[in-house]
Amino acid sequence: MRLGSLLLWDIRFQRKYGFYFLYAVLTAIYAFILFAVPENWKEKTAAILIFSDPAAMGLFFMGAIILLEKSQHTPCAFAVSPVRETEYIIAKVSSLCAISFIVAAILALIANMNNLHIVLLGTVLSSAVFTLLSVIAATKIASLNQFILWTVPIEVVCFVPAMLHLFKITPTWLRYYPINVCMEMVSGYAPPIIGILGVMTLIAVLLVLSKKSVLKMWESTGGVKL
Amino acid sequence: MKVIRLSFLGMLAYLRRDMMLFAACLAPILVGFLFRFVIPLFEDVLTDWFHLPTIISPYYGLIDILFAMLSPAMFCFVSAMVTLEENDEKTAKYLFITPLTKLGYFVSRFGIPSIFALLVTVVLLPVFKLSPLSFSYIVLLAAGGTLQGIVIALLILTLSSNKLEGMAVTKLSTLIMFGAAIPFFIKDNAQYVLFPLPSFWIGKAVFESSPLYMFLAVLLLSIWILFLMKNFCKKNRGVY
Repeated sequence: MRLGSLLLWDIRFQRKYGFYFLYAVLTAIYAFILFAVPENWKEKTAAILIFSDPAAMGLFFMGAIILLEKSQHTPCAFAVSPVRETEYIIAKVSSLCAISFIVAAILALIANMNNLHIVLLGTVLSSAVFTLLSVIAATKIASLNQFILWTVPIEVVCFVPAMLHLFKITPTWLRYYPINVCMEMVSGYAPPIIGILGVMTLIAVLLVLSKKSVLKMWESTGGVKL
Repeated sequence: MKVIRLSFLGMLAYLRRDMMLFAACLAPILVGFLFRFVIPLFEDVLTDWFHLPTIISPYYGLIDILFAMLSPAMFCFVSAMVTLEENDEKTAKYLFITPLTKLGYFVSRFGIPSIFALLVTVVLLPVFKLSPLSFSYIVLLAAGGTLQGIVIALLILTLSSNKLEGMAVTKLSTLIMFGAAIPFFIKDNAQYVLFPLPSFWIGKAVFESSPLYMFLAVLLLSIWILFLMKNFCKKNRGVY
């Protein structure tokens, strides 16, 4: 019940601040790009677009979301409410995953990608990983510029191997690197079972770490330690 | 003048705490090295691998344009983020009633960083350019890039009322830079669909080596700035 309310609140929050409008516009632009590229480039272009934007949207927006909540003193309310940090995080991850899922579905359909279910599952997993990473970063920052700097190393570690993997310029063992597994799925290929297990383990570890970070943020809300 | 300088130094101190000042100064140099030395190396490897005479080199002009736009876009983006935070925290309003005034505030937040970005581009572009550009062309490109940085900052401030909306608008407004790629990829008349984008004319000026298009881009950018300034003042009457 609490999780449902939080999820609804997050969706309303994102609608109010123009996320849905923004992604409607971006989807139109990406669709235009997909129509413009030659047929044999479409799948790879769609995979790059899905992985770098809708799936990674948390990396771009989470800092602003949490800073805005801080400036509106929302963490103060959360700190004294029965809401648990896990519910707060799951609501954030699910609401952003929903947008990623819809945008990815549209782009994958336009690009006529194979194994749509794998593409969408890959998008949801990638989105969960990126959003959890960004929650951890966002709880530690005090300004937008700081958040942008925090995300640079995350982007390097996540995007560079994934892009190289997409073009098959990585050694075989890097196929099991969780981010590369996500990229493989976003491209429409079934990953090895061990790879999926790796991604699930990564998500579990990130969930625990983000839970700790959110709790720490709530405990020190308002400038004093609760 | 002294208060404007102090206000600018205050912003620099704020950015230095975040390490953003260091990143903003270092990024153009790092990207410059990457463009100047890694891309030609990559081109050699790719042409050998695919047995093709050229792959990236026909787009060196486009890479130079992106480099000319990088520093201004970055400096103006950083300033826009500081301004959005000051707006959210209501500190901007208090600064206006000090001897700094509204105009002084905007000069310190956008005027000085833009001039600095222009100088950085004029110095770095001749060092890191990949295509043969004359000095006058470099100055024109730097001016175009700087005006475009101001357009991006104004778009962020005009279309958003808090930092979250600011990030959303940032994502959209930086896309206007990619109009520069159109003349390089779309050769027929369909390219003119994007004629309102100044970056499209900057791309055309470099692609066709015609400085006339560059003047058109600067004119269009000035119109964009006037239009956005008007809307910005209208929207924020009473706030700013």
